Amino acid sequence: MTTLHLKNIVKRYKSQTVLDDLSLDVANGERLVLFGPSGAGKTVLLRLVAGVIEPDEGRVLIGGEDMTDVDAEHRGVGMAFQNFALFPHMSAFDNIASPLTATRSSKDAIADGVQKVAKLLKIDHVLSHHPKALSNGQKQRTALARALVGSPPLLLLDDPLRNVDAKLRFEMRLELPRLLAAEGATVVYVTQDYKEAMALGDRIAVMSQGRIRQIGTPQEIYNAPADIEIARLFGDPTINLLDVVPQRGGEGVFVELSNVRVRLADYDGDVSGKPCVLGLRPETIVFTDASSPGAIPVTVEAETPLNEKTVTLAMTARGREILVSRPAGTPGPVAGPAHIAVNGAQAFLFDKASGRLLPRADIASKRNGEAA
Amino acid sequence: MASTATLRKPASGFRISRKMLPYVLSLPALLVCIGILIPFFTAVIYSFQRYRLSQPWARQFNWGENYLNFVTDPAFWNTLKVSLLYAGITVTLELLLGLGIALLLQRRSTINNFISIMLLLPLMIAPALAALMWKLMTNPSFGILSYLASLIGLHDFRWASSPDTALLTVVLVDIWVYTPFIMILLLAGLRSLPTQPFEAAALDGVPRSFVFFRITLPMLTPYILTATLFRLLDSIQQFDIIYAMTQGGPGNTLTVFQVEAYLNFFQSTNVGRSAALLIILWAITYTLSNVFIKNWLRLRERARGEA
Amino acid sequence: METMSPVERVLRAVALTLVVVFFMFPIFWIFLMSFQTNETILAIPPSIVFSPTLSNYAALITGKLQTAAGTLDIAFMRNLGNSIFLSVASVAVALVLGVPAAYAFARHKFKGSEDIAFTLLSFRFAPPLLVLLPLTQYFQWLGLSNTYFGLIWVYQLICLPLILWIVRGYFEDISADVEYAYRIAGHSWFATFRKIALPLAGPGIAAAGLLAFIFAWNNFVFALVLASADKQPVTVGALAFVTSSGIQYGQIASAIVLSVTPTLALALYAQRYLVEGLSLGAVKG
Repeated sequence: MTTLHLKNIVKRYKSQTVLDDLSLDVANGERLVLFGPSGAGKTVLLRLVAGVIEPDEGRVLIGGEDMTDVDAEHRGVGMAFQNFALFPHMSAFDNIASPLTATRSSKDAIADGVQKVAKLLKIDHVLSHHPKALSNGQKQRTALARALVGSPPLLLLDDPLRNVDAKLRFEMRLELPRLLAAEGATVVYVTQDYKEAMALGDRIAVMSQGRIRQIGTPQEIYNAPADIEIARLFGDPTINLLDVVPQRGGEGVFVELSNVRVRLADYDGDVSGKPCVLGLRPETIVFTDASSPGAIPVTVEAETPLNEKTVTLAMTARGREILVSRPAGTPGPVAGPAHIAVNGAQAFLFDKASGRLLPRADIASKRNGEAA
Repeated sequence: MASTATLRKPASGFRISRKMLPYVLSLPALLVCIGILIPFFTAVIYSFQRYRLSQPWARQFNWGENYLNFVTDPAFWNTLKVSLLYAGITVTLELLLGLGIALLLQRRSTINNFISIMLLLPLMIAPALAALMWKLMTNPSFGILSYLASLIGLHDFRWASSPDTALLTVVLVDIWVYTPFIMILLLAGLRSLPTQPFEAAALDGVPRSFVFFRITLPMLTPYILTATLFRLLDSIQQFDIIYAMTQGGPGNTLTVFQVEAYLNFFQSTNVGRSAALLIILWAITYTLSNVFIKNWLRLRERARGEA
Repeated sequence: METMSPVERVLRAVALTLVVVFFMFPIFWIFLMSFQTNETILAIPPSIVFSPTLSNYAALITGKLQTAAGTLDIAFMRNLGNSIFLSVASVAVALVLGVPAAYAFARHKFKGSEDIAFTLLSFRFAPPLLVLLPLTQYFQWLGLSNTYFGLIWVYQLICLPLILWIVRGYFEDISADVEYAYRIAGHSWFATFRKIALPLAGPGIAAAGLLAFIFAWNNFVFALVLASADKQPVTVGALAFVTSSGIQYGQIASAIVLSVTPTLALALYAQRYLVEGLSLGAVKG
């Protein structure tokens, strides 16, 4: 275990700024996920930490020690690459052993170390194969084994599940947390898959355009995305975003959806009259009876049954599309007119102009008040 | 585990810094470069001097005189004419022949691949030796080609020894050696073209001449350009074949740039004129090579992209 | 490709036959000639039926020519030895200089790297005599005239750009991540170069070396200008050979055969890489 501190990192390629004054602190033993769309600068950041590329400005501190000018081979980090980056002319054994040969360990110690990690990753039967003869999953495990074998205090994983098939990715998503916990290393994990980010990260740093947009626990980011872009990136199906103008009413702030008032309990009067975007997670919307209070009439357009949930595309009276997600197997309308209910307490309001999440009125105290 | 205890410390002692490494790696090649650049600049200086090896005492700067003299010097104009003629004829014929052969061999088959490899052999023979081979074959007393010429009524056809046919003979040798170069590049180009447009055209029953001029040729253009410029650059400075075959003769029939410069230097010992000739040749090739490198780089990017 | 009409098929076959005859006949003819005595060579009409003799080769190899005027010493074997030594040594030097530079150009885009690479490339296209003629004088001052060392240095003009630009392409084809992975695993840049980059670019380096060998072997003008008889390779030696008196035509032919055999054999062996080498890496075969 160790700590990682990045201070005001700037990296430019030609005129393009890839990392823009980026700072980040990773605590001892923490699993931090770097999440963001491709081109956000995640991979560059990881390579910068590993020491294979240099920042134009800023410092990289590992374990409190300034490593900015230290060569990659002296930083003692482990790294797995998205494209595996296996040495094509070496057997899986030699691939995995490469971090051990660098330290001139004894032959027996190397063999033991490789065997141990290979068993853990269930590739001990293919150690004599060259990468060409390995399946994609085996390649990926070999790459992971190579990163893990030296028990590095800092482990950098660059989207290691990107290039494996869906089944394997699902398996590894379950297996990895256990593996990483057993390893006890500080981990920086890059991914473009929000589920992976949610499953693996103690904290998630959301990156885009060379900056960290938001950093927090998976729950914090899911429940309070800092802006529309982050809200869209997290969640499947994608969050519903509707243009609204909140108004002040008798019981507080509300928005109108198809002439039905939805009260936004968490917001106060500051937002009224301001052009906003209402964010509604598909799973917070439920189908309901026409008679229940707050029911909004919609027309069901299409239904897509996924494995664990069913997603319905509905159209409001004003022609706005709404996605509704419910657990698979629960009843719901298949076509034609229906009604939905929206929970205002679970909705987000974003400023339409800036895209930023509008601050809620002191939520904590209000919640406590309700509970009391 | 102590947080940094396992981190390996930078090795003390000899270590090349990251920024210096590429310079250190390329330094030896760089030094060779410089070693070759010095004589280049020396040649530039020579070209502005009155300098004869036979009269070293009379050596002095005469500035542009060597160049100015060219204007009224029929030998220079002959050199320029012969060089351009030689380059123009060889490259044009080699391009047409090379393209034709490449089209004949385009389809991948055992026999076609075998022939294309066989055809490369002339290219792998030293041009000076190739000239020697043709010299033996055009020998007036026993040359097979002289014999064949006599069969079609060309008695006493003297090939490279006659001013009328010397150019034709060396062009023939050049074509024999270098057509395979253009052929192999265009063949690689043809075989790398996407098949879709051709299949679509065949399905639509588009006439073949149309396919050739509107699809094949435009798509092949980068290869044709690169191959042609490559050959033009070499051909304008041809030395080996001409020198080995006729040493620039008979008379001054074949005194192309490099041959003329060589003769000026070693026979007339006129260093200044020789250097000025070479500088003019260099200016021509430098201009051509700039155009060439642009095309060549584009093609190289493409080849690397496919890898 | 569309199906061909019978007429077209025949025309194609005729055209291809003519092409093969034109390009192969000289090699075939000189090869035959090298096994003939002057009597059969001078016979009219020429015939491909004759009783072959190895006497031409024997004369070249022993270096003793029996002529009417007596025994003549010829140094063809020495030329052959020079060709081998000059080509091998030049390629070795070019590899030692060029491979690290190619690696630097491929991996580290540094200030001036492209300028140096293109300067080297431009050597390939500059008139060789432009450098050679002043060099004769420099070599006299430096005592490098007619030395193997001087010749090998000048041979870098052709070998180095070839090695540099072909090998650079092969290094560029290696994923940078693979090298990064080895560095991160704790190995120095040099270990990475030796254990990852060199083995992976190995076939390309070998091919570039073979091609550079062919070009060095086939070079004529460098040795013509800078070397005396005892250092001359076959390209220059064979030419001088023609003008020496009392020589038999069959012996010239067998000298040519001996001189071109190594390059032809290597070319056939490395033919997969020829296209790439001839275009300095711009076209892949």
